Amino acid sequence: MLKSQSVYRIDAPGKVTGETMYAGDITPDNLLHGKVVFSNQPHARMIAMDTSAAEAVPGVVAILTAKDVPMNGYGLSGPDQPVLVGLGSSNPHADISRWEGDHVAIVIAETETAAAQARSLIQIEWEQLPIIGSMEEALKDAVIIQPWHGSNVLKKYQIRKGDMAAGWDEADIILESTYHLPYQEHAFLQPEAGIGYIDDKGRVTVEVGGQWAHEDREQVAHSLALPEEQVRIIYPAIGGAFGGKEDMSLQIVLGLAAMRLHERGINRPVRIIWTREESIFGHHKRHQATVYTKWGATKEGKITAVSATVHMDSGAYAYTSPKVLGNFHLMVTGPYEIPNAHIDSYAITTNNVPGGAFRGFGGPQGAFAAETQMNKLAEALGISPVDIRLKNVLREGSLLTVQTPPPPGISMAEVVERCAQEAGWNSEQYSGNGGQSPISNFRSPFNSIQSLPGNPQTLRKGRGIACSFKNVGFSFGAPENCEAIIEIHGTAEIERVVLRHAAADVGQGTHTALKQMAAAAVGVDMNLVELDMSDTATSRNSGSVSASRMTFMAGNAIRGAAEAALTAWASEDRPAIGHYKYIPPGTEPYDAETGVCMPNFSYGYVAEAVELTVDIETGHIYVEKVVCANDVGKAINPMLIEGQIEGAVVQAHGYALMENLVVKDGRILNPYLSQYLIPGIKDVPEIVQSVIMEVPDPIGPWGARGMAEMPFLPLAPAIVAAVHDATGVWFDEIPLTPSRVVAKLREKD
Amino acid sequence: MNISLSINTKTYERDVEPRLLLSDFLRHELGLTGTHVGCEQGVCGACTVLFDGEPVRSCLMFAVQANGHELTTVEGLAESQADLHPIQQAFWEAHGLQCGFCTPGFLMTLVPFVAAHPNPTEAEIREAISGNLCRCTGYQHIVQAVQIAAQKVHGGA
Repeated sequence: MLKSQSVYRIDAPGKVTGETMYAGDITPDNLLHGKVVFSNQPHARMIAMDTSAAEAVPGVVAILTAKDVPMNGYGLSGPDQPVLVGLGSSNPHADISRWEGDHVAIVIAETETAAAQARSLIQIEWEQLPIIGSMEEALKDAVIIQPWHGSNVLKKYQIRKGDMAAGWDEADIILESTYHLPYQEHAFLQPEAGIGYIDDKGRVTVEVGGQWAHEDREQVAHSLALPEEQVRIIYPAIGGAFGGKEDMSLQIVLGLAAMRLHERGINRPVRIIWTREESIFGHHKRHQATVYTKWGATKEGKITAVSATVHMDSGAYAYTSPKVLGNFHLMVTGPYEIPNAHIDSYAITTNNVPGGAFRGFGGPQGAFAAETQMNKLAEALGISPVDIRLKNVLREGSLLTVQTPPPPGISMAEVVERCAQEAGWNSEQYSGNGGQSPISNFRSPFNSIQSLPGNPQTLRKGRGIACSFKNVGFSFGAPENCEAIIEIHGTAEIERVVLRHAAADVGQGTHTALKQMAAAAVGVDMNLVELDMSDTATSRNSGSVSASRMTFMAGNAIRGAAEAALTAWASEDRPAIGHYKYIPPGTEPYDAETGVCMPNFSYGYVAEAVELTVDIETGHIYVEKVVCANDVGKAINPMLIEGQIEGAVVQAHGYALMENLVVKDGRILNPYLSQYLIPGIKDVPEIVQSVIMEVPDPIGPWGARGMAEMPFLPLAPAIVAAVHDATGVWFDEIPLTPSRVVAKLREKD
Repeated sequence: MNISLSINTKTYERDVEPRLLLSDFLRHELGLTGTHVGCEQGVCGACTVLFDGEPVRSCLMFAVQANGHELTTVEGLAESQADLHPIQQAFWEAHGLQCGFCTPGFLMTLVPFVAAHPNPTEAEIREAISGNLCRCTGYQHIVQAVQIAAQKVHGGA
């Protein structure tokens, strides 16, 4: 049996003493330094490149270009992106830069300074091509950015359920809106870094921060035309990821550098550390998107029909966009039973920064549209936003828009009720003052440091609520699995247990949780468990640390491996070794016409209530309290879960209120933390109250569900609802920066 | 330029380029990689070290400016992982870190603060760490860690 326990995280002593090594800290003897040369061209064809001046810089060891890449195309959804844009490679499409962050060369030198100097001396002649900087422009297909695909629509899904005409007929109210969702930058504190070398067994080895070591290995092996066994990926400590380290950054170029240097008789490790600017240019973002949607409801608040068209900017290359779009497509109707639905969702190729994985994976954009529609309907119908949700949420046996039920263990109604109760909503309606009258008794425990103005006449209080669900795992037919190896050592008694596993600890604490689960599964004290983690040379494929999947998947794999090891132990094997590959129940992709499918094997459920104050003169929004009720199935480590909830809420707070990536004509204009603002402690909600619920998932390990993305989803729509409560104005576009808030409030006046 | 300075009570003498950043000097010349670099602009605070006892951004200073001064980095807070400084211990117990990349900067910012504040209010704590960014924790457990640290440092627990 597993006992919920807030075990202190096992990696903390190394992290608080500075002994923990992140990839950029590893400094072997004989180190060489690399710099990536970016194209800085959103759309241009390379005519010529001259590296002679760069090669002449003292200390330059090698400059690698497209012709040095054996298979010059890679990508998680297919090999659509050149490792190095340029001439003379195997990829006929590699002469065109489609994104300003495309790489064109790797400079390797004795010092970082020499590498940087050489980089600045590389001469490239480009033929400019039309830059497709908007989805509207891309949809005209006048310029096809990916000629091998033949259209700028990268992916389309549709859902056809029920009888739309009947659905609109039954509706007493029909509410139509268009929502604009912004980019979001991950801003993990550790910019990308890594080191490439040939290990003692002759393997091309890359130490780097990532989220799926075996996928990294596959991508490197593919690009270098090597068998996977000839490539090794090791994850040292990882300074945050949030989806932003799911795709390749330095993995392939470091492997390429190690391999090509070795061929030239140079057996020296190469390190690359990206600056923050390079990091923001160099990796994908949360997708910007537009949602055109229409919801019909009866006057009692029962939803009768939903139509939606989703346009999601997937940027220059696919990354994980097809999967992100899949979640968006399912979640744009919210955690509700919708009798009639007509949804068309498009991932659209542009010359902008690629969209990709980021905590929630399309869920936050879908949830924003669905929850804001629900809150608008509640207001229009005079029904409390809690009650209208309870009338429509998914329950056991409910059908999704894809016409199958979610798996058993559906807790959406309980989660909404618990959130409302903890936040003091009961069944009354909005209690804010609706922007009508100023509040005279504003008190903030921290108001001295929040620089609130002295004029209470301009302050308005409001509150809002929203709820969401999110699938655990990628699914929609993805080949999901996770492997674990457990070794039991000892003679008569168990003396130690070794868990070999590939899961990445990106900061969430997964290694601590896995150690707890391994101890519980074998039935020993945690102190007897040793970990051998995140090295493809010693562990099997765990799948990705993303999609809120690792506790669920690894927990099930560990249970299977422990059972096998215990069986071997009983047969007197010493050491007793158990290997297990967990495969969850099968799922299906969307049907091309109707969308009908069995999309996922598990979900997590979450609701959030927000209290805030809006200064209608300055447009500043002060969030006082967020109550988050999150059904985690089983809290393996409640303290780690609180950390995930608080971190997700604050990241979503940034998404809703602050984070404003400016992209114009394919170029990011604010690639610095001084210009792209993420929340500091003076910006964040004063109180985040975590309400951890445990409705078991029947197939989860000890009942556990995934949980790390879920608290992100409902916050932005809950904030928008609270701002409406405070001011009487609906905002259909975020982030709610002060200037945007003031402009819209003045429009109303 | 030749410089001589004390870091974690040890004296170092080095010949450095005049434009070498203090953060790069610590990390790359001396191998004190516990000082992290997150933004190169003084925004995130991950590179904070103590300069004559005061927290400074080592990415905004040149190594030569440290000539003749006393520095403390995160490596100087504890003899070993078994003998943590109370602030380090508090961050561990209160789950005041996740990925840990920002943590050395928070710790070095807080060492003088906690020493000077036996019983800090929550507002004072928030003010003290308002120049440090964390993307993982949401800060709430960091605030709790500081409260625990103050008790530990001043003998309350």
